Amino acid sequence: MIRLADVTYRYPRATVPALDGLSFEVSTGQFCAVIGANGAGKTTLCSALAGFVPQFYRGTITGSIEVAGLNVVESPLADIAGTVGLVFSNPFNQITGARFTVRDEIAFGLENMAVPVAEMEPRIEEIMRFAGLEGLADRSPFALSGGQQQRLAIASVLVMRPKVVVLDEPTSQLDPVGAKEVFSVLRSLATTAETTVFMAEQKLEWVAAFADRVLVLHQGKLVADGPPGEVLASPDLGRYGLQPTRYTQVARAAQLAGLRSADTPLPVTLEQAVEFFN
Amino acid sequence: MNLVIDDVGFTYPGGAEALRGVSLRIQGGESIAFIGENGAGKTTLMKHLNGLLKPSRGRVTVDDWDTREHTVAKLAARVGFVFQNPDDQIVERTVIDEVAFGPRRLGQSETDALANSVAALEIVGLSDESRTHPYDLSASQRKLMTLASVLAMRTPVVIFDEPTMGQDARGLKLIGDIVEELKREKRIVLIITHDIDFCSAHFERVVAMADGRVLIDGPTAEVMARADLLATTNVEPPQLVRLAQALGLPVAPLTIDGLIAALPR
Amino acid sequence: MSQSFSLYIPTNSGMHRLHPLTKLALVFLCLVLGLFLPGVWLSYATFALIIIPSALWGGVLPRLLSALFKTALPIALSLFLIQGLFWPGGTPILHLGPLSFKEEGLYFSIQRTGRFIMIIGSFLLLTFTTRPDELMLALNRHGIPNSITYIILSTMQIIPRFQAKANTILDAQRSRGLETEGNVLVRIRALLPLIQPLLLGSIVDIDERAIALEVRAFGRKGPRTSLLTLHDTPAQRIARWLMLLAAVAVIAWGIYLWLAPRFIA
Repeated sequence: MIRLADVTYRYPRATVPALDGLSFEVSTGQFCAVIGANGAGKTTLCSALAGFVPQFYRGTITGSIEVAGLNVVESPLADIAGTVGLVFSNPFNQITGARFTVRDEIAFGLENMAVPVAEMEPRIEEIMRFAGLEGLADRSPFALSGGQQQRLAIASVLVMRPKVVVLDEPTSQLDPVGAKEVFSVLRSLATTAETTVFMAEQKLEWVAAFADRVLVLHQGKLVADGPPGEVLASPDLGRYGLQPTRYTQVARAAQLAGLRSADTPLPVTLEQAVEFFN
Repeated sequence: MNLVIDDVGFTYPGGAEALRGVSLRIQGGESIAFIGENGAGKTTLMKHLNGLLKPSRGRVTVDDWDTREHTVAKLAARVGFVFQNPDDQIVERTVIDEVAFGPRRLGQSETDALANSVAALEIVGLSDESRTHPYDLSASQRKLMTLASVLAMRTPVVIFDEPTMGQDARGLKLIGDIVEELKREKRIVLIITHDIDFCSAHFERVVAMADGRVLIDGPTAEVMARADLLATTNVEPPQLVRLAQALGLPVAPLTIDGLIAALPR
Repeated sequence: MSQSFSLYIPTNSGMHRLHPLTKLALVFLCLVLGLFLPGVWLSYATFALIIIPSALWGGVLPRLLSALFKTALPIALSLFLIQGLFWPGGTPILHLGPLSFKEEGLYFSIQRTGRFIMIIGSFLLLTFTTRPDELMLALNRHGIPNSITYIILSTMQIIPRFQAKANTILDAQRSRGLETEGNVLVRIRALLPLIQPLLLGSIVDIDERAIALEVRAFGRKGPRTSLLTLHDTPAQRIARWLMLLAAVAVIAWGIYLWLAPRFIA
């Protein structure tokens, strides 16, 4: 569903590449998280999957990127929209300003795709329930809190039913419970609707609990790739400017203190940690 | 230095009641984290401490100053406030001037203003960037610069609004170190945060807010142990506390060592 | 409708339910009547016989009159005083000590005030009773490009956000000791640290919003659908054509009246 072959990209006037020789594939219905320190290239990678790098930001790119059967480096952005959804982290700037109510804001993408009104209405109802926006349909999108706006941004993209949804730190404004809810919505989307989810995130506890696979970027390079249990428990994480979850840290400390066997695999989630200590 | 919030109520001009009777006493040297879901009233309360908002009822005093009787610019000498979005404040062409903006406005001598700014940049790890244009910094560096711009004001009270948002492990550690340094200097450190693990690692007292009121107020370990109450304001206890609870341990550990110590041998 | 720079008053009157273009045609006819025909009283008649009854029907008459009073009164007063007293070489009809009101000046003031009332009145009538998004949709369907209606709609919503952002920036600067309360000089000096973050921040916003629009297939060619529905009736369609024809006739008559004396001379 996503296929990158030897992708290297430089922003205009940049000397160092923001993406450096990236090659990987993500299959249909997979929930793939990408993590890394600030400046590692996560945002650039997300923009590239939706075609905005290089089509909007310019710069030079080599290699090939194919998403949902589209060559996103060259396909017109208008053709990519609807097939590849992009959610980024500043929720306020994702409100189009073209519509006056939450319901109409969600409808905007569908209207542009010429979805019939009869089909639009149930889809909007469904996505509002899914994103926890019930009761806000007639509010102005600009009158919502940051967290609500972030849910609206996600809903407005998901309602278009993209085959691949790319999200760049979409939970930054949400409180902890709200962030967890977003992860769980995306998880069920990947499982039940076969939507491929590609998400850049800092909240490793939820990455560990919900993602199928984790990529680690470091200075534009792909340095680790595997299931969360493997990648997030790796002793290399610190080298890439990342801190493992407390569950991993405390388990490692217990091993070092000789309280637990050094052979037991380290936990990355709460459930695994409970198992590890019992 | 002490802060007294006495039965403060606040209603926004549009009619939204954001605070419904909050009372708190804060002593010199205390470090307090304010937690709670979006819209609980945390930011509204903090804006009362430097006079950006004046109470609709009740009283806020910073030492002997009633905030109603002083301008924000004047209160800024006592209460420093680090805003969430760095781009809302950048006015100068170099990082060092941007950091010195506050100290100069407060009437510090040019020598002091520069010395304090240099020291603040050192603390946030941006010494090498002092001649850089603020907009040439990365987003997370700009955030650290805003932090420095308030530290350089050398106020007895420092308020941070979501300082860890968008920071990676290195940034988190840096901000944690800054908080520790301010605590050592016996300044009052207040933080608004959703990052519950950060707050349990660095703050002695926690105030959980919900719906414009104080839900719980107490030593961090005590507050974090109240998963039932925290859940009502959309907050989950820190990972270590949840693990201890899931393991049935009778403690609410705030550190890894604390949890290790509580494990049955 | 809150948080938008829109004067729309959401009630459910017959006037509100009219197709936006019907209201636009009505307003157009009013403007033509008031502006293209000579004479003093026609704009007052248009106002009294068309705008007032329509506003009454729409349930917005008190709001319309009060808004009109606030804008028109100062202008009317200054017109009467300046043009009435200082009309060069006019015929004096009322003496006030050394000054006198001139007939021609008063005549001119009455005419201009009438036109002003009529123009503002019809604009208020339209905006009070018409949802901006419905008006823009109606225009889209009659060949006005999406990009133009988008600019109008988004501006209506961005202006209040711009004000909110300006307030946040001002808060951030005051918190760093920038004095904004005091005399005019202090206030002017406070403007500079406000404008730069406002402008630079807006550039970033524009970039991101352009991406958000692309993501939502705004750039896609071909037909679109709309969740908003516009109710139209054959009677309204006929009324629109009649009003347009009437407006064209009035324009033609006005041009004739204007040209005729020149040809005869």
